[in-house]
Amino acid sequence: MITVLAEGTQSEISLKWRQLQLISLLSALLAMLGAPTTQVHIYKSVEENWERIHVLQKHDQIVAGIDWSKSSNRIVTVSHDRNSYVWNQEGSVWVPTLVILRLNRAALCVQWSPKGNKFAVGSGAKTVCICYYEQENNWWVSKLIRKKHDSSVTSVAWHPNNVLIATTSTDGKCRVFSTFIKGVDAGKPRKSGSGSSLDAKFGEQIVQLDLSFCWAFGVKWSPSGNSLAYVGHNSMIYFVDHIGPSPSAQSVVLRDLPLRDVMFVSEKLVIGVGYDCNPMVFAADGIGSWSFVRFLDEKKSASSSARYGSQLTEAFGKFYGSSKQGTSNDKSRGGVHDNCINCIVPFKTSSGSNKMTSFSTSGLDGKVVIWDLKNQEDLLEYM
Amino acid sequence: MGEHVEADNAEAIITRIEHKSRKIESLLKQYKPVEALKTALEGSPPKTRDERCKSANWIVVHRALMAIKDVDLMFTSLDPEYYDILMKYLYRGLSTGDRPTCDQCLRIHEKLTHKAGLGCILRALSDTVNTV
Repeated sequence: MITVLAEGTQSEISLKWRQLQLISLLSALLAMLGAPTTQVHIYKSVEENWERIHVLQKHDQIVAGIDWSKSSNRIVTVSHDRNSYVWNQEGSVWVPTLVILRLNRAALCVQWSPKGNKFAVGSGAKTVCICYYEQENNWWVSKLIRKKHDSSVTSVAWHPNNVLIATTSTDGKCRVFSTFIKGVDAGKPRKSGSGSSLDAKFGEQIVQLDLSFCWAFGVKWSPSGNSLAYVGHNSMIYFVDHIGPSPSAQSVVLRDLPLRDVMFVSEKLVIGVGYDCNPMVFAADGIGSWSFVRFLDEKKSASSSARYGSQLTEAFGKFYGSSKQGTSNDKSRGGVHDNCINCIVPFKTSSGSNKMTSFSTSGLDGKVVIWDLKNQEDLLEYM
Repeated sequence: MGEHVEADNAEAIITRIEHKSRKIESLLKQYKPVEALKTALEGSPPKTRDERCKSANWIVVHRALMAIKDVDLMFTSLDPEYYDILMKYLYRGLSTGDRPTCDQCLRIHEKLTHKAGLGCILRALSDTVNTV
């Protein structure tokens, strides 16, 4: 079991963590943590402690995204310096290969395709780069999807078929593109849940989802690739089925602060994380209608009826006078995370059934938390 | 989405708002302030960029808003579907700087936040397309 984590700082105020988790044949538990700014650190778990075993130092500016491919055992990092590195493990060292993304703005997010032969980079240049390895030149090539986004691309997600990607952008839209590359994607992929859209050429837009009126974040596909979920900065989460010419969408209104990232546990269970510092559980009922179930960290919800979930609620207490909402001088707000959670990734899947059993979250508080799903009994029916 | 009515339809919208206004006056005379507020919020915000329509609609909503005496009682019969749009008008009210309007808006704002949560405020503030 390996966990990869990277971290960068834009200033002392904002710590940014990205993490990613992977399964290796080795029984060692590893994690990667990037120190502030430009490094990526790899940690290994030794009993209860985490030991740093590697430091990946190549970027000149903040590392904004990191991903590890299970199938190829490669790491990819992207940075505000507009470059990307693919890291191969040779013996006990990770050897970097520069990938020129041909961007004129910062790279913001990255993800390996399921097969590990391509990766997608979202950027502040309103473009998405699809990178693949060219054998004859011994070189990673970056192919751009241009002029489709009106603003920065905040997240990218690969469909399980290795061809379609979904993106979210600060123009509020979620889009799905084909990334079919001749010679890399052998033959035309077979038809799946996404209809005939797989015949599309590289960079062709399959669908544009126009549900949010403000920044969109954290798009993810369900395990089957039949539906996707993303969040808006207006405290909404969107679930979309039947991706294709006539998608069907559901919007779920949140009572609390906006989410930043989501993760499908199963076709019927989604966990969202964000500014409330506490993972939120969403589930689909028998007819596929999604709704908010509860906060995952229950102790916290129970301990505070008036909820001091975030700095904002605290400030709100002051706004309406401390007599009404009370003030919390306690620095830690009762939950596991005490600042915005901006990343959630699977951690362990059970060996037999391939079901997710735990996941990890990381936040602006600089913490990485591993959550066990096994003891969440009321959620078992959705897994 | 984002189907904005052309300028020549502004007149039709104004007519509709005038009709709404008369209905509200009659509801207020019957001491039905919550019904009046619901009527005012229906069809809001007008689907246009025309500021004249938006102002006309705000005047109608303001009239109904100021007639609310018992805020707790209001929330017993105001359905959650009205919360997001009400929050937007509360912020419009607060932006006027008018003392009685602000007092009333703050009173309702506190109760509405309690009921609808911070998400409601976020949706009011973040929507730059469907402004009121």
